[in-house]
Amino acid sequence: MRRGGAILPFFVTGCSGVQTMMGGEGAEGANFIQLFTVFMIVCTVMYLIVAIALIAAVWRRRNAALTLDNRRHHESSNAVRPALIGWTALIAVGLIGLTIASFFTDRSNAANGSNPQLSLTVTANQWWWDVEYSSPDASKTVRTANEIHLPVGIPVEIKLKSNDVIHSFWIPNLAGKQDLIPGRETDAQLLPRKTGLYRGQCAEFCGVQHAQMALDITVESKADFQRWYAAQLQPAPPPANPLQRAGYNYFTTRECGSCHNISGTPATGQVAPDLTHFASRRSIAAGALPMNTGNLYGWVADPQSQKPGNRMPTVGLKADDLHALVAYLETLK
Amino acid sequence: MSSRFRSSALALALVAALCGCDREERQTRGKPLGETVPASASPDTVFPGTGKLPPLDPRAAAYEGNAAAISEGQRLYNWMNCSGCHFHGGGGMGVALMDGKWRYGGRIDQIAASIVEGRPNGMPAWRGKLTEQQVWQLAAYVRTLSGQVRKDAVSARADELSNTPPQTQTKREPLSPSDSDQQ
Amino acid sequence: MRRSIIVVASIAAMLAVALLFWALTQKRESDLGTSQFGGMSSSKAAPARAASPRDDGNWTMPGKDYASTRFSALSQVTPRNVGKLQVAFTFSTGTTEGFEAPPLVVDNTMYVIAPWPNNVFALDLTKPGAPAKWVYEPKPAAAAKGVACCGPVNRGAFYSDGRLYMNLLDNHTVAIDAATGKELWRTKLGDIQQGQTMTMAPLVAEGKVLVGNSGGEMGVRGWLTALDAATGRIAWRAYSTGPDKDALIGTNYRAPYPQDQGKDLGVKSWGPEQWKIGGGPVWGWISYDPELKLIYYGTGNPGPWNAEQRPGDNKWTAGIFARDIATGQARWFYQSTPHDLFDHDDINESILVDWPAPNGQRIPALIRPSRNGYFYVHDRRTGRILAVDPYGYINAYKGVDLKTGRLIPAPEKEPKEGRAVRNICPGPPGAKDWNPSAFSPVTGLIYIPHLNICMDMGVKNANYIPGTPFVGADVKMYAGPGGNRGVFTAWDPVARRKVFEIKEDLPLWSPALATGGGLVFYGTMDGWFKAIDARSGKLLWQFRTGSGIIGQPISYRGPDGRQYIAVPSGIGGWAGSIVSADLDPRDPTAALGFVNAVKDLKKRTTKGGMVYVFALPQ
Repeated sequence: MRRGGAILPFFVTGCSGVQTMMGGEGAEGANFIQLFTVFMIVCTVMYLIVAIALIAAVWRRRNAALTLDNRRHHESSNAVRPALIGWTALIAVGLIGLTIASFFTDRSNAANGSNPQLSLTVTANQWWWDVEYSSPDASKTVRTANEIHLPVGIPVEIKLKSNDVIHSFWIPNLAGKQDLIPGRETDAQLLPRKTGLYRGQCAEFCGVQHAQMALDITVESKADFQRWYAAQLQPAPPPANPLQRAGYNYFTTRECGSCHNISGTPATGQVAPDLTHFASRRSIAAGALPMNTGNLYGWVADPQSQKPGNRMPTVGLKADDLHALVAYLETLK
Repeated sequence: MSSRFRSSALALALVAALCGCDREERQTRGKPLGETVPASASPDTVFPGTGKLPPLDPRAAAYEGNAAAISEGQRLYNWMNCSGCHFHGGGGMGVALMDGKWRYGGRIDQIAASIVEGRPNGMPAWRGKLTEQQVWQLAAYVRTLSGQVRKDAVSARADELSNTPPQTQTKREPLSPSDSDQQ
Repeated sequence: MRRSIIVVASIAAMLAVALLFWALTQKRESDLGTSQFGGMSSSKAAPARAASPRDDGNWTMPGKDYASTRFSALSQVTPRNVGKLQVAFTFSTGTTEGFEAPPLVVDNTMYVIAPWPNNVFALDLTKPGAPAKWVYEPKPAAAAKGVACCGPVNRGAFYSDGRLYMNLLDNHTVAIDAATGKELWRTKLGDIQQGQTMTMAPLVAEGKVLVGNSGGEMGVRGWLTALDAATGRIAWRAYSTGPDKDALIGTNYRAPYPQDQGKDLGVKSWGPEQWKIGGGPVWGWISYDPELKLIYYGTGNPGPWNAEQRPGDNKWTAGIFARDIATGQARWFYQSTPHDLFDHDDINESILVDWPAPNGQRIPALIRPSRNGYFYVHDRRTGRILAVDPYGYINAYKGVDLKTGRLIPAPEKEPKEGRAVRNICPGPPGAKDWNPSAFSPVTGLIYIPHLNICMDMGVKNANYIPGTPFVGADVKMYAGPGGNRGVFTAWDPVARRKVFEIKEDLPLWSPALATGGGLVFYGTMDGWFKAIDARSGKLLWQFRTGSGIIGQPISYRGPDGRQYIAVPSGIGGWAGSIVSADLDPRDPTAALGFVNAVKDLKKRTTKGGMVYVFALPQ
């Protein structure tokens, strides 16, 4: 009972939180929790039986003085055989039960993922996520980075690719892990059931900054999602005052535009996160820092101090350029 | 027992000491401000009066033969479209980088100068578009294309369709004596 | 005895049946995707009359006439006497880049147009040795060479009304007075800072100078511009991507197939903002029909080569436009290669002919060997395909669906990021690249110098930095089935089949010339200038020039009445860049993969820049 009681807090604390396997906010995640519960119950029962049998055996061993030709020993061996048969039968039933439960979970996941209504491609890089929403109309595709917005209740298909090494796509609240392997295209299916803010992260060691490769997931109502998507289709707004204009000039004529893209400007680099709507994201640098002005200053001034070894170089900006750049970046909502 | 204990303790201490050695110094962050690449350090320049070539830039030691720098340079070589003109050393719109022929000098600081300043006949000028550290990383990588660098520092793996032999097997191209590779 | 007879007879019968089956199931080249007809047609195609006037012995435009026949009616040199052909004089341009432009001959003056630095020389043919009358030195920017993907070449000038019109590598179009060499006007049309260059030969008609840009590998936005021939001011500009108002697609536009009809397809068939760097440059050939007042030209490849980065059909790249010459408004467009995967530009020449249909009707048509390996015959009034057949070995496409007009790609040959797809045929230069074919009205055949090259291709994410390449592909090319890298084909456009074929070891990068005497001339990359019989393909004469030949041979009547044949000799261009730019053959991906296909070229030829002129001895 004490052992059983130790399991309960595990369930309770795991239920809430922005990054937790026990959240069950997605259909796949909920299925997994159900299956996990079944496994826990069956395995706990088996464990208890084994534990009790072991304790009983030790207890009896202490009390009885058994010798080889002791009659009682032979008598008790008559009870062993049916017990063994019963135990094997119980194991068989248990395993078959677990197999069936697993089978039905897989079927449920497959059914949920069989008719996706939204398609995304996530390309993992060291150490950020390139997210592209597909659309039957090629001119209505959206490209963003390190964040995914999903409409609640809509099955989503996510194609997974990698540009360098093996990463793993994991949104614990919604579903399990899926590797992104260079040279292959794998896929994942999601069916979010509850709105909310979640955090995903890379789950396969991919280099020095593997620990700071997270994703901000937002599951929202269909109307909110459409509004977000329409806003993402817009190019970046032009700079409105001289400070922002100075930042725009620096961004588009200096180092930044060689790697980053801001739609509607001459900065068209394709190898770094798309920054067209950068200021609307919840975090900077794939979850390394929360998005606010101070962190933005720190990141732009010296990315290597926050995430050493990552691909964005420390430029060594002058103070005026730094002010201008941050002012411009904050307009990219 | 005590002598065995002593010798194994000694061996352990030796191993621990060796672990403190670094193969090379790796900087994730180059020096922040004020770096400039020397201009016109070409071997074909005449220096009236002294006739002496400028000495090798002190930063060369930090980048030349540095495995981390070469690896970053390899990545930047594809990212910045160097491979679009120079391909994997063979050339195209740009000159071949894997032969031993250098129009504007084959020393690492001369290559860095060519990248920063651009060159007549079409090499773009990257001053302001790449940080100085990135330029030196690229120069370190370009040096490996003609096999000038020790083989334990070069990358053994290409990042693209594998067509050329791995860099660990690239033969060292002999440079002409006028190229100031020799110090 | 009777049993053995029966056994022998039945074996013979089975063999006969087997032989019959084998013969019936042999795949003929024209079986792919097209219906069977023709083969015994007695009528020939003929050049469109208005576009192909009577030959006056001059050569005033690169294509010889607006129909682009590249046919000289002069018949002094025949298969019987061509063996005596000898050098009459030579001229050295002093430059050693790829020499592609034909010399123009107008009233006893020969105009030689050199590659960068784009000098023009006027040679007086009436004097012995053809001395230069004047030299025009435009001094285009040297940095333009750094953004010219495939050599700083120039494909020719156009003579009209006492002036020469040509493009400079650094995006200027100039008009030169043909008598004095003085520059009359110079108009800047593009910017090397954006990766643009200009290499094509203009077409001048109805007071308009039509020019297009280059740079499909540099993320350039392609266009065709019409300048006023007198002043050089821009009359209209038709972009190859973007909204309908930029592409000049209006109410007169009727696409022959539904895939090319719709509003703002030049925006909708791309990802957001991609059409701005989408390519489709017009760096090849333009033909003109003076009766319909329509110009016909093809657009180049979409950028980048990595097709995964640009979802959609990518209009209006890799297809052919018909436009009204006065206003530039599009009449029709056919996209030969939607969502191009292999750099299959469509800028190849369109030859304007009257094509006899099976029912006897003569249809105004345009015929073209396209880069994707198919030979198309289109009704040039509407764009509708009349016939389409492969003229080379193709495994990248399954055929063309004649109902929808759409090219059917082979899905297993689609390049994927991070992986290598091997043995894709035809490779990036296609079954035939820019070097144009010639059409002989005497034989009714079209003479195509082309390629047999396949490739391995891997694609990766391409970064767009203006002024640098926007490609995203690693390519390695090599010879296709048979081991020969080049092939010279005589194709019957009415019977829709090959009449004869000459296998060449090296790729053929030179254009062809057909003459009224019954000869066809072309050059090889190691410098051999060859004359073959137009009917049989037999090699009748050849001469080894000093450098590889990639330039247009021409024929003209000299001041003494003799027929002269001239050819530029100077290796270069995409195929010859290993020699002209001294590339390293150890990197198979160099020069966009071409180096691997011509690794031996450095041993077979060296750089040059000379015009050779031949004639029969007096």
